[in-house]
Amino acid sequence: MVRTAADRIADVRRLLLAARTLLEQRAELVQAIVDSTGLSTEGVELALERYVELEATDEELSRLVACAGDVSRVAVVLSANVFVGALRALALGRAASDDVVVRPSRRDPAFARALVGAANALGDTHLRIDEQLDVAGVEAGEIHVYGRDETIVDVRARARAGVHVRGHGSGMGIALVSAAADLSHAARALADDVVVFDQRGCLSPRIALVIGDEPRAAALGDALHAELERLGATVPRGDVPKDERAASGRYVATMTYACRVLVGSQHAIGIAPPGAPLVLPPPYRHVHVAACASLADGQRLLAPVASAVVSVGSDDLDAARALAPPWARLSALGWMQRPPLDGPVDGREAKLR
Amino acid sequence: MVAAFLASSPAPEPFDVLACDLARYQAARILGYARLCRARGIDVATVTNAVDVPPVPTDAFKMTRVATFPPEETRITFRTSGTTIGTRGEHAMRDVATYDAAAVAFGRHWLARDFGKPAPVVVLGPPPSHSADSSLVHMCEAFVRAFGAPAPAESTYLVDGDGVLDLAAFDERVAIALARAEPMLVLGTSFAFVHFVDAVGKASFDLPHGSRVMQTGGYKGRSREVPPAVLRADLARVFALDERAIVGEYGMTELSSQFYERTLFDEASPLGVYAEPPWARVVPVDPDTLVAVPHGSVGIAKIIDLMNVDSAVAVLTQDQVRRVGPVNSGGFELLGRAPGAPARGCSIAIDELLGRTGG
Repeated sequence: MVRTAADRIADVRRLLLAARTLLEQRAELVQAIVDSTGLSTEGVELALERYVELEATDEELSRLVACAGDVSRVAVVLSANVFVGALRALALGRAASDDVVVRPSRRDPAFARALVGAANALGDTHLRIDEQLDVAGVEAGEIHVYGRDETIVDVRARARAGVHVRGHGSGMGIALVSAAADLSHAARALADDVVVFDQRGCLSPRIALVIGDEPRAAALGDALHAELERLGATVPRGDVPKDERAASGRYVATMTYACRVLVGSQHAIGIAPPGAPLVLPPPYRHVHVAACASLADGQRLLAPVASAVVSVGSDDLDAARALAPPWARLSALGWMQRPPLDGPVDGREAKLR
Repeated sequence: MVAAFLASSPAPEPFDVLACDLARYQAARILGYARLCRARGIDVATVTNAVDVPPVPTDAFKMTRVATFPPEETRITFRTSGTTIGTRGEHAMRDVATYDAAAVAFGRHWLARDFGKPAPVVVLGPPPSHSADSSLVHMCEAFVRAFGAPAPAESTYLVDGDGVLDLAAFDERVAIALARAEPMLVLGTSFAFVHFVDAVGKASFDLPHGSRVMQTGGYKGRSREVPPAVLRADLARVFALDERAIVGEYGMTELSSQFYERTLFDEASPLGVYAEPPWARVVPVDPDTLVAVPHGSVGIAKIIDLMNVDSAVAVLTQDQVRRVGPVNSGGFELLGRAPGAPARGCSIAIDELLGRTGG
């Protein structure tokens, strides 16, 4: 039977309905996600409340369906990163095929398992879980793999001939604060983007470029410091693994030496010395703030890391468009972690194909 | 201190005194270091143990100038070969005499102390004119001058500016050394040796009896990666040497001192254990707290280097090490880069991606 675009959109909408049902009865699910992700309970609640992409327009879903393609079978291999990402991954798989098998992350299986269960309960039997799925055993169709780049390379190496592998790998977000931005508003919005998922997602901003001089960057840092402190009181940071605590200490020491660092109870903000090359701060609520004399200066600074940028958030979308690599998603600050459900969050593979 | 080492005399001043004096000197001249000391809650005016001196992370060398003197006094700037995001760390010096004296003294001790006369020294690397900002190339040049018999540069530095290895020139140097029964010293990086082994294939390049090889450094994507034990075995086979004649060196641009495996001159020393000069100490510390870990435990290397007079007397690396042997006279094992946390998300892994692709 030929699946029309409308059929595919309907199948995705049923998946969104399953997600909505899941969220309405989430008490047990929240604790399971807290246990597996290390996020705080408040952090999980925030993510479920505001960052599950339930509201999609027909136009957005049309785009998602268009980029999903049409294949006999999709095997979705999920990773432990942003747990709500399972919804987009399953939506892409379901849009592409009537036969979708999902291997949840071993470390973080709760949301994906529950979502597939909720979809099955709504009558969608074309989605199923296979915890033991071996990618080498996938005989046809596509493998959609999410996670570390080593994982993607490994899956590509193990996939059979004729099975197409779509990889969704590592990435990060960049915030661009324009010369005209109100720094208080920008800081408030940027803090929202930083706090959710404790910066473990590939859309999470790790670097903020501020058009202007170093005092202006420092002023953004001060405002962001206050906002992250405020948000930390209501949405505490989750557990920080020992190695990431070490990375945090290293970043704080480096920035203390190099220029200035604002260390909060659950975050740190480094203010880069003028003209210094960018350094990548660790995740778990660390932001590296750098002044750029101009947009061109920002592009020069960003060049060494541009290949990893999948999202640019800004108060000035024209400026963001000029700064961002062609594949990157653009959004207003405060909306970096809420991209429309219109395709993969990472546009690099589509642009490179 | 170097002179005392060369004369096998006791150090003129205790290590801890010198390290703490240098910390005070640097904190008085580098605002960033003074800030770092304050942030760590360390009053350098009263610190008495070298292990308590706050270390400067190697990342700081990429972000800012780490020097006690003004830029116009800089004589040479060594640069790292590549970093996580393509930026290069810089180590400025206003006087390389200290660096050279220490490097040659300790290099001679573990690589060339038995050479009764200048020996054939070849470098599987570019000539200094092509890599003037490489501390490794600078050190190799110092070794060529200190230990080497006179030879043209094209017969000494066997990689040209395009990275092409001149096997014919190497063959010629080996043939002459064999005819004269002169032991050789071959210096190179791990990736250069991998290229060499790949170029030679199953053939061998028997070196004269008593020859030795110094290999150092990581790969940084410049060749296939080979486990240290495999590379050592490959080099021993290709050069027809005992594995103990393949001597590992550990150093970094941010330091002024180097460390060597003792295998050439200490029959009891196991492979993979590095010796420190009297002017440097490697202290494994907990990566989170930076407190020294118990003897025999794994930590990241905090290196106290008294030769870093004008930069950072204590440097925090990202290399994992473990002290072995007697507490006061043992050495350390180099265990590679600290691993990432197991629960890494997709933004977190970007550090690794950039680490692999960075210049």
